[in-house]
Amino acid sequence: MDIIIIGAGPAGIQAAIHAARGKRSVVIIGKRANSAMYGAHVENYFGIPGKTDGSDILNNGIAQAKAFGAEHLEENVIGMEHSNDMFSVTTENGSTVTAKAVILAPGISRVKLNVPGEKEFFGKGVSYCAACDCNFYKGKRVAIIGDESEAAASAELMTKYASKVYWVTKETKASEMMIKKAKDSGAEMIDEKAAEIIGEGNKVTKLMFSDRSMINVDGVFIELGARSSSDLAMDIGVMPETDGTIKVNEKCETSVKGVYACGDVTGRPWQIAKAVGQGAVAGMNATEYIKGEKNVR
Amino acid sequence: MVTELNERTFDAFIEGNKTVLIDCWAPWCRPCRMLTPIIEELEKELKGKVAVAKLNTDENMGISARFGINAIPTLLVFKDGVMYEPLIGLRPKEEIRQYVLDI
Repeated sequence: MDIIIIGAGPAGIQAAIHAARGKRSVVIIGKRANSAMYGAHVENYFGIPGKTDGSDILNNGIAQAKAFGAEHLEENVIGMEHSNDMFSVTTENGSTVTAKAVILAPGISRVKLNVPGEKEFFGKGVSYCAACDCNFYKGKRVAIIGDESEAAASAELMTKYASKVYWVTKETKASEMMIKKAKDSGAEMIDEKAAEIIGEGNKVTKLMFSDRSMINVDGVFIELGARSSSDLAMDIGVMPETDGTIKVNEKCETSVKGVYACGDVTGRPWQIAKAVGQGAVAGMNATEYIKGEKNVR
Repeated sequence: MVTELNERTFDAFIEGNKTVLIDCWAPWCRPCRMLTPIIEELEKELKGKVAVAKLNTDENMGISARFGINAIPTLLVFKDGVMYEPLIGLRPKEEIRQYVLDI
């Protein structure tokens, strides 16, 4: 592959259209449903009057990109690597794709669960990063909350530290491979919706579900959505800002050669028009980069 | 260079400085890596006002347990030996600076 595009939202799709039209081999990796545009009513995008379902626009966009030769993998990315000027991307189904350039268009993900106790017990048993805090839960009981493959990966990781791991996922969207990994590691899946994090003093003690049943836990790890954009960026050496955004120049280049970013991940405004604009810039510049020519503006 | 503390040097550092900011981190923690350059800048900028140090929680689990740290990055803050509410999670530089200067 010439170019891997992470994210199947307006920025990623527009980048794919430009790159594929520029005769580069392109693959978009990402679930359309992870785009903020999916299921949203669009009424402020030029040329699309009335209230249009964002999902329809995304579906049309994917079809359009494919018509120009782009491929699309409807999967989440679980890891990326950068070596010898090549980038490799691993998806939740276990496939690995390599390319000379990467366009990061993953959007911004919701991290907060918004249940009672979440804010109060943050750092006192509530964590948003299993990889960071696993070591503090040796021999303890923990729950991982999240429906995507990222939560499954965290559940598997935590089984190496905690004495008991629950993976709370209502109608899981994780890949079969990641579900199997989590189950094989000994994590217990619970098909419930988390409703409240309960603690005593300054420690988490219980997690309550929407049917008011409870489990005893010392830690609650909130891992909603796909792998965060900051985490993915750091995999390939791009250092995000503290707010998780990725800094780009006017060519949508990041600090790493061959890596571009566009859309919501580069910061506000979180608008389709801006995402599409940056997507075009990133797609064109990545195309020129592959050709080894001077980047266009 | 930001001073690296351990179980042996930890208490003396707090006792020997008026205002102290300690960045508790671990090598596998990515938000910690994002915080590192901020802490290095603050160490230089706050010289003479705040003593800044780092603590590897992985190698010093005893201190983590003593101060109830179970999420990183955590910034421990002390003034005249008294512990103030820690800052948990990745924070912007200005917020950290303001917090330690205001206590």
